[in-house]
Amino acid sequence: MSILSVRGRSAIRGRESLRAALGLSWWVGLALVLVVPVGLFLLTAFSPRLLDQGSAWLSVGSFETAIQSGVLQGVFDSVLVGSITAVVSVAVALTLAWWVARTNLLGRGIWSFLMWAVLLSPSYLVALGWEQVLVSHGAFWDLGFRVPWLTNLFFGPVGVTFVYITMGVPFAFLAVSPALAGIGREYEDAARIHGASRVGAWRTLVPMLAPALWAGLALVFAETISDFGVADTLAASSKFPMATFTLFSAVDNYPVHYPVAAAVGWFLVGAVGLALLLQAKAIRGRVYGVLSGRTRNPVRIQLPRWGQVVGLVLVGGFFVLALGAPILGALTSSLLKPGAAHLAVAELSTVYYRQLLHSGSLIAPLEFSARMAAIVATIVAVLAVGMAQFLTRRQAGIGAKFLDLLLLATIALPGIVLGAGYIFAYNLPFINDVGIHLYGTSLLLGMAYLAGALPTTTRVLVGPLAQIDQSPVQAARVHGAGPLRAWTAAVVPVVSRSCLWAWLLTFTGVLFELPVSQMLYPPGQFPLSVAITTALSTYIYGPGTAMIVVSIVFALTIVAAAMLGYRWLTPRGWRKVGVAQR
Amino acid sequence: MRLLALRRNSWCRGRGTLILTSGLLALLVLATTPLQLVGAKSKDVPLIVYSAQGYNINSVKAFQKATGIPTELVNDSTGPLLARIAAEANNPQWGLLWVDGDEAFAALDRQGTLLKHFEPKVDWTAAARRVLPADHSYIPTGFTLACALVYNSAAISTPPISWSELTEPKWKGDLGMNNPSISGPTYPCVAGIMQHAGGVSAGEKYLLQLKANGLVIHDVNGDTLSALNAGQIKMAIVQSSAAIGASQDSSLKVAFLDPETLLPSVIGIDSKASHQEQVEAKKFADFVFTQAGQHQMKIGDPHGDSLYWPVLQGEQPLAALPQFSSVPYQVLNAYKWGPKESAVNTWFTNNIVS
Repeated sequence: MSILSVRGRSAIRGRESLRAALGLSWWVGLALVLVVPVGLFLLTAFSPRLLDQGSAWLSVGSFETAIQSGVLQGVFDSVLVGSITAVVSVAVALTLAWWVARTNLLGRGIWSFLMWAVLLSPSYLVALGWEQVLVSHGAFWDLGFRVPWLTNLFFGPVGVTFVYITMGVPFAFLAVSPALAGIGREYEDAARIHGASRVGAWRTLVPMLAPALWAGLALVFAETISDFGVADTLAASSKFPMATFTLFSAVDNYPVHYPVAAAVGWFLVGAVGLALLLQAKAIRGRVYGVLSGRTRNPVRIQLPRWGQVVGLVLVGGFFVLALGAPILGALTSSLLKPGAAHLAVAELSTVYYRQLLHSGSLIAPLEFSARMAAIVATIVAVLAVGMAQFLTRRQAGIGAKFLDLLLLATIALPGIVLGAGYIFAYNLPFINDVGIHLYGTSLLLGMAYLAGALPTTTRVLVGPLAQIDQSPVQAARVHGAGPLRAWTAAVVPVVSRSCLWAWLLTFTGVLFELPVSQMLYPPGQFPLSVAITTALSTYIYGPGTAMIVVSIVFALTIVAAAMLGYRWLTPRGWRKVGVAQR
Repeated sequence: MRLLALRRNSWCRGRGTLILTSGLLALLVLATTPLQLVGAKSKDVPLIVYSAQGYNINSVKAFQKATGIPTELVNDSTGPLLARIAAEANNPQWGLLWVDGDEAFAALDRQGTLLKHFEPKVDWTAAARRVLPADHSYIPTGFTLACALVYNSAAISTPPISWSELTEPKWKGDLGMNNPSISGPTYPCVAGIMQHAGGVSAGEKYLLQLKANGLVIHDVNGDTLSALNAGQIKMAIVQSSAAIGASQDSSLKVAFLDPETLLPSVIGIDSKASHQEQVEAKKFADFVFTQAGQHQMKIGDPHGDSLYWPVLQGEQPLAALPQFSSVPYQVLNAYKWGPKESAVNTWFTNNIVS
């Protein structure tokens, strides 16, 4: 008996040591991938000399320069636009998710698919598309729709916020949609039995979505204030300075002022810290585990004919606004003949597409980026589930809070911060001296992609994972399953759809990632985004835009194949989770 | 019925396990793939070229073929390349930089980043000799003009020929240009305008006059030329290679104002590169001025950067370009105007962009 207990204690100690070792290596890995590069970049704001970015070992001069450059106005604009964008995007996403997930609206599969098309549209393309449509003598002008007040309104804060909202909705949709699907029928039934109307029942259900709503709000806010595509085009043209434009100006003009860029980075991190505080205050001490073994699938509302019309107008209207301008912009750029003055059928030509296919200049970059994206997405999908589960534990300690801040801060910092931070961290002479040559390799580029994708993907998974009740896992353990078996049997089916979305989000994000690619790509191996921007840098947009169109079609094909693959290959039970019934 | 349910349950579990196993296998395959992709940075590649020139892929391939020296290219716009070089400050990885505009090279020279006292033994044109720095820390490889005037010949029969004409009421609302904060090559244009006006303050006054006369600002060349094609504006000032390239396919024509500002394409060599890489970089620079090197520069980007004027005596530009002797030009002092870039761009954004 005593031998057994000694063996048992020793086994427990062994397991604890293993767990501690795994935990330690996890934090070390996280430090190498995220903390060190981002931290070194931010450190240059106080100590430019440390990384040969100036002469002072300790100084706050970079903050003074940043403030003189108008960073405070930029931060104010970014926070204001980010807040409005976050609230409106989540509201729109929730509405869209309700129509798609809870009603029998026609074309539900198509709407979900189109959401990916919106997600894939690069922000600068959306902004440029709208500029080309609304500018005087633009596409609307050619079509006889001449509205100067709309043009004036668009080239300003209203237009900037509008473009950000169209881009923010897919992120909010990814965060909110699985959570909405996860709220079973019993809660709706309970509310209705107690006399609530359908609207009243929803008033009961929406608070249950709080983790996903807050995750969506924080994600969209951070994505908006870190965006550079709109800040550099529409916002800059409209004299509406955003914080990232100030950061970019410090890096783009020579001599490059990384310490000033780092100072702007501190302001962005501060803004995200405030957002996190708000989030923590809102959901502190509450439990949101609604997905248990007893969860019943929600009922799909049967819409009358007028309901179908209203739903189609609302949902279709969003996609027309979100995709119409970039598609029109891309088509006018890539299908108009060289030198064509106006949008007209006679001026259309496929010459740029034929040139592209003939030259083969897209194949190598597309292959390189697709392979990198597939590798990184697979690793991120696995890691993000673990991290999201760590963040949503009921006994979330200081580690989880630090991780939350770290992830959101990384999202809030533009990609160029990560790119430069990786060079600072992994191109240090002493690292080369000990024989490690990571800079200039695909491995370092992959690590940076992973660092850039992990925070967003984790954030997207936080909502769905927060809803998982522990009872199915406990039931599996009671019936003799080990921890891994219990987890794969009880949790994996529930989160499988979210994992697929996380994989696709990372895959498509890496495929089109630009700033990190520019800073870290190995000589001679051009990523897709670099090939596209190089083509776009000439005065003719046609070849570059044709490259974008072909690449987006490729990415959407992967998305469609993955969605169909999930439908055909997974057990039926996996797909039933959260799917409304007729 | 129960048996059926159990079987289905077991089949589902088996299928689930199969999918999980397949997923893990896929991860393993993908994880091993990077071994091919990643590799270690090859020690056999001594020369790393950072370049934004449209013909750089041609030039690098031809150089490697002609000399057998392994050469790898980082091909990007000038801004990201300079940002990359600045981030590498304590351990530079580049061997040779080749981009438009000498202001950045002047700044790099001041930081001690460029190899000095190297000059290929070639017969320079007079304009090239005016651009060469006293310490020979960088070399010009070709010229474009920062501010060529491209106009719609259907709307304008006699284009302006001087800068002062552009402020006249008859051209009100007709002129467009890029924002120098967004379009890199536009800063030398703005600096040239200021130098011609007599300095920064006089230049600012002149640009405000242009604004009062309806100057239209777009982000980059593509937007400005689209506006010109669409009839929103009747003329634009853009880099000559873009202007001449655009005029090849349309009713657009190009004129040169007096004076035009020279925009040299420039090569610089990293002073901290290994001796061997510096030798290779010098060979690359020498190769650029050979007949084969000039040929590659001319065929690599025929609608863009290949539309340059050579810096070698007797070397002819592409037929689309007029003789260089017919162009009135001025040279900017890169060491003087380089450090002003950030302040001038900020002023332009705050005061001219509307």
